[in-house]
Amino acid sequence: MIRALEGNRAMVRNGLLGIAALALLQGAALAQMHGQHTSEAACEEPTLRCATKVTPAFGPDGTLWLVWMAGGQVSVASSQDEGRSFSAPVQVTTKRLNLDWGPDARPKIVVDRKGGIALAFSIFRDEAFNGQVLYTRSADGGKSFAELKPITANNESQRFEALALDQDGTVFAAWLDKRNRVPAKEAGRKYEGAGLFFASSRDGGATYTEAKLARDNTCECCRLGLTFAAPGRPAVIFRNIFEGGVRDHAVMTFADVSTPGEIHRVSNDDWQINACPHHGPSLTVAPNGTYHVAWYTNGKARKGLFYAHSRDEGRTFSAPMALGQPSRNPTRPYVLAGAAGTVMVWKEFDGEKTSVQMMISRDDGESWSPPKTISSTTDTSDHPLLVSNGRQVYLSWMTKADGYRLTAIEDQP
Amino acid sequence: MKRGFAAILGLGILIASAATLGAAPALKPFERGTWQGVLRGHAGRPTLVHFWGVTCGPCKVELPLLGQFAKDHPGIDVVTISADLVPNLPAATQSMLDKAGLSSTENFIFNDGFVERLRFEIDPAWQGDIPRTMLISRDGTITTIEGSAEMADLEKWSGQQLATH
Repeated sequence: MIRALEGNRAMVRNGLLGIAALALLQGAALAQMHGQHTSEAACEEPTLRCATKVTPAFGPDGTLWLVWMAGGQVSVASSQDEGRSFSAPVQVTTKRLNLDWGPDARPKIVVDRKGGIALAFSIFRDEAFNGQVLYTRSADGGKSFAELKPITANNESQRFEALALDQDGTVFAAWLDKRNRVPAKEAGRKYEGAGLFFASSRDGGATYTEAKLARDNTCECCRLGLTFAAPGRPAVIFRNIFEGGVRDHAVMTFADVSTPGEIHRVSNDDWQINACPHHGPSLTVAPNGTYHVAWYTNGKARKGLFYAHSRDEGRTFSAPMALGQPSRNPTRPYVLAGAAGTVMVWKEFDGEKTSVQMMISRDDGESWSPPKTISSTTDTSDHPLLVSNGRQVYLSWMTKADGYRLTAIEDQP
Repeated sequence: MKRGFAAILGLGILIASAATLGAAPALKPFERGTWQGVLRGHAGRPTLVHFWGVTCGPCKVELPLLGQFAKDHPGIDVVTISADLVPNLPAATQSMLDKAGLSSTENFIFNDGFVERLRFEIDPAWQGDIPRTMLISRDGTITTIEGSAEMADLEKWSGQQLATH
């Protein structure tokens, strides 16, 4: 018995040691979670090679500008040779920030005719993951950026900002904003989703007008698609919350930069879900006024990626056209009307590698080329984006394994 | 025998000590192959697998309800998997689980930067929307609830599962 008790004591000690060891192991396991293979990023420095999200824009002189998130910082650089080499990066952030790392978040950039650069991005500003949209501007061709400022004085959560540039240099910003949940809560009302808010800047993104509501109760966690449909008329596509909690897409064309318009449903997908799809739409408007949209849904009526167009300023849309191979999990559609046609890209995954699929239409969205694989990678990757310099459309794609790629969309027969 | 007895007793004390000290089980890293391990580990037992994330609004509402469900249904294995993109935040994840009363369930956190591959192993059709709940019956049948689960539906399912045993 005595021996047994001694044994027990030994085991108690061992047990306590075991607990201590467990605690250490737990710490080690958590520390390991920040290791390279577990990270979305290839490395932790603020360089382009370490970026997880990269957003492109061409300047009026054909310079390619990139803004990216890496190492907790936002940086900008430019390329004169179609992305083969880049200028020394300029850091926009002065300290490491808790940048919004959500799947549909990324820094935004527009470059105006005078070479002024307007940026916006979101951060998580507290431990409850409340967001804040910050903006800045460079007036010296990207050599330096103004101090970061919040796009609105309101302190409720904001995320998923988007920027668009008008022909006259007006910068238009839209974002999702939770401010209206406060009065709803005070009144004892349930508040769903977030408000689609907007503001504009007549000084190239140095200052913005006071934020205004375009539409309340939209889905709160998907990127917006934003462009100018015509001079002075921004158009936005977003995941709306329709009657009964159905999160289908809607398009709104503004009467002018301070006057929201009616919303029009893109498609009746009937996706009733109380969740964050983290999977927003894409919108481009061709010079002839055709709206081209692409989106993801998992509704009762249809599931997957879809494309449609509107020839009446976004009031009615063509029947949804399915994109990609359903067995390969098509995701992240992006559509852009370019000089040589309308281009669409998305990602597919075959269990081992991710590929970017591309289709092109030369008749304004009536018919499309067969999908073609234009790039692939064997590790995690950013969303595929399209960017145009006015003559040529390029795929802009950041990958962890292979770095940043700018790929000219080849002409298809 | 004595040594064996002591070892078993010691193990009991170890577990009791861990419980007394309130040491929460570690968040387990969810990596390639983990999903098959979860399925194997709970085979033959009714299991509720809940996917969520710290930045997801509806998840914050649902998680405490799930904590209560787990407490009320000890016969159902509850597994949570934080499926936000890496950099996932272990501290914030654990804190939300603790507040929701889910400290002692089997809790995982995505731990592979290639989330597409992780999701593909679980369900090739899943594009990452959360919350998402998979109800795995004793016979391995999986029912997926997209978005916030209705607690009444979970009650109904668990009632069926426990009644058939």
